[in-house]
Amino acid sequence: MAIEIASAKAGPSRDSNPGDPAYLKVRDLVYRSSGIYHAEEKLYLLISRCARRMTALGVTRPADYLEHLTVRPNCTAEMRLLLNEITIGETYMFRHPTQLEALRNVILPQILQVKGLISLKRLRFWCAGCSTGEEPLTLAMFLLEEKDKLLAGWTWDILATDLNDNSLEIARAGVYGEYALRNTSEALRKKYFREVGNQKLQAGDLLKSQVRFDRVNLSDDNKMLFQKGIDVIFCCNVLIYFDLASKRRVVQHFYSNLLPGGYLFLGHAESLFQVNDAFHLVHFVGATGYWKPPSGYVVGGKTGGDKK
Amino acid sequence: MNAKLLAQLQAQIKQLDSISAAPAIMMPLLEMLRLPSEKIRVEKVVELVSYDGAIAAQCLRLANSPLFGMRYIETVRSAVMALGLERVRSILFGLCMNRVIPKDKWVISSDAFWRHSLGCALVTQRMAKNIGYPEPEKAYLAGLLHDLGFLVNSILYTEDFRECLRRAVEQHVPLHVTEEQVLGFTHCNTGQLLSEHWGLSKEFVDAARCHHDLSLLPAAGPLACLVHLGDLLCRVRYLGYGYDEILGVDLGGDVAWRTLVATYPALEHFDLARFTLDIDGAMEQIVATVDSVFGVNSAAAPASS
Repeated sequence: MAIEIASAKAGPSRDSNPGDPAYLKVRDLVYRSSGIYHAEEKLYLLISRCARRMTALGVTRPADYLEHLTVRPNCTAEMRLLLNEITIGETYMFRHPTQLEALRNVILPQILQVKGLISLKRLRFWCAGCSTGEEPLTLAMFLLEEKDKLLAGWTWDILATDLNDNSLEIARAGVYGEYALRNTSEALRKKYFREVGNQKLQAGDLLKSQVRFDRVNLSDDNKMLFQKGIDVIFCCNVLIYFDLASKRRVVQHFYSNLLPGGYLFLGHAESLFQVNDAFHLVHFVGATGYWKPPSGYVVGGKTGGDKK
Repeated sequence: MNAKLLAQLQAQIKQLDSISAAPAIMMPLLEMLRLPSEKIRVEKVVELVSYDGAIAAQCLRLANSPLFGMRYIETVRSAVMALGLERVRSILFGLCMNRVIPKDKWVISSDAFWRHSLGCALVTQRMAKNIGYPEPEKAYLAGLLHDLGFLVNSILYTEDFRECLRRAVEQHVPLHVTEEQVLGFTHCNTGQLLSEHWGLSKEFVDAARCHHDLSLLPAAGPLACLVHLGDLLCRVRYLGYGYDEILGVDLGGDVAWRTLVATYPALEHFDLARFTLDIDGAMEQIVATVDSVFGVNSAAAPASS
């Protein structure tokens, strides 16, 4: 009952029109501050996210909520809270095992060979849009497992960033349930996690120490320029929220953030077609990645393509 | 490959006719393959397909599979009507090809071979259509035939070829690499010789010979390029030879792609990632189709598929 009363008092009122021009203004504001664009057919998603914030604030009219985002003194904070609602994502560890295989079999051997020559035995990874931390922790486990094999004598750091404060908070706590761990083997669970009751596991200190979490807005050019010397960037299912112009800008940043010979991984269904043609699409078994060729690389210079 | 080895191989391939388990319709079918499409007669195709009950049944099952549009086809004649003469001819050839190897001489599993050949045929044909290559059916056939050399190697050099496969599985490398080490020649060489022996046209011979190394051709034709790319795309999408290869392929930077772009400038604006994604769906269908047509027990399928 209490809930019903609450919903009668706050949240968008029943007669609030989904085509309300206020929502279109909210959409533009969201776009300007984050690059995330809700096209006409995705507008319902934005409206449902706004609804949660409106309920929390006790606001019923979209126009009033727009006020909270523009003229009220706490408008910057409110935008941040709305972005937190918009960028919630559910994922699990070892979601893309073929990317890790490509890393182990092709990419890391390539990078180690080049970097080994200049005796710079350190690798930098960046999970851009890390959500609640499943992806960087997967990468951390993978790298720790290779520590005495492929990566003997090497060190690394993993930067994991997201726009969503709530996600980052969960990531820092590192407590996960069965859904997040469904692809994680018993051996890895035992090795890198501890039980915290309620059928949940928490990442242990060793695992946590591998990853540095930080809030980065991919549309913030100043912060993006700051990330340099990265070997591999993971940005899975993040750019799908961006429109073409913002996508281009973000991907151009990724390109300059990467070292020559570095790789960018996107989500399974994402393509850089017409977004960026400096990256080379590389096919691995069961996965594709985008490669930044070293200077002097000649397209079509190789023959045969698959000769070892 | 030196002249002596070549002459030796040529002589051995002639023996193939007596060793292989090729169905009776193989020879008339080969004759038909040499004909230009406008000269193929419906009656002849129907007759050949119907000659062997088992082949006719498999042919109908394939024609009815979602890969070819999932129609309700009951007779060989309606299959010809629905799919076209050329496609039925290719399907038939594929079915016969798979029977050439006697049961005890298969080295690569017959399912893997079928999946790879059928996969390559379909991917090559799709790509051909996409780029505006005028004869997509020809691309289908070229994709289907590109690994004919495996038939030769399995039948004539069974034990050595087993060693090639063992090494390739162990080292995760493509088979032609270990064939070179163990046999001194590859399935590309024997594929070339067999397709010449069978009187296939030069384009098919070239595709079989050069699909792993286009530099062998002074000027690679579009068909050889398409087959080269189709083969690679299948191998990076679990339709290889039934084991895990280590592959990282820059298709857009590949010489085959660059050659095609020079011929078809529209390709400069081709979304390869999207194309890969589209064929990913087809790959699953190919596996399902091969399993259903040949009654493969999925538990015995290679782990990677």
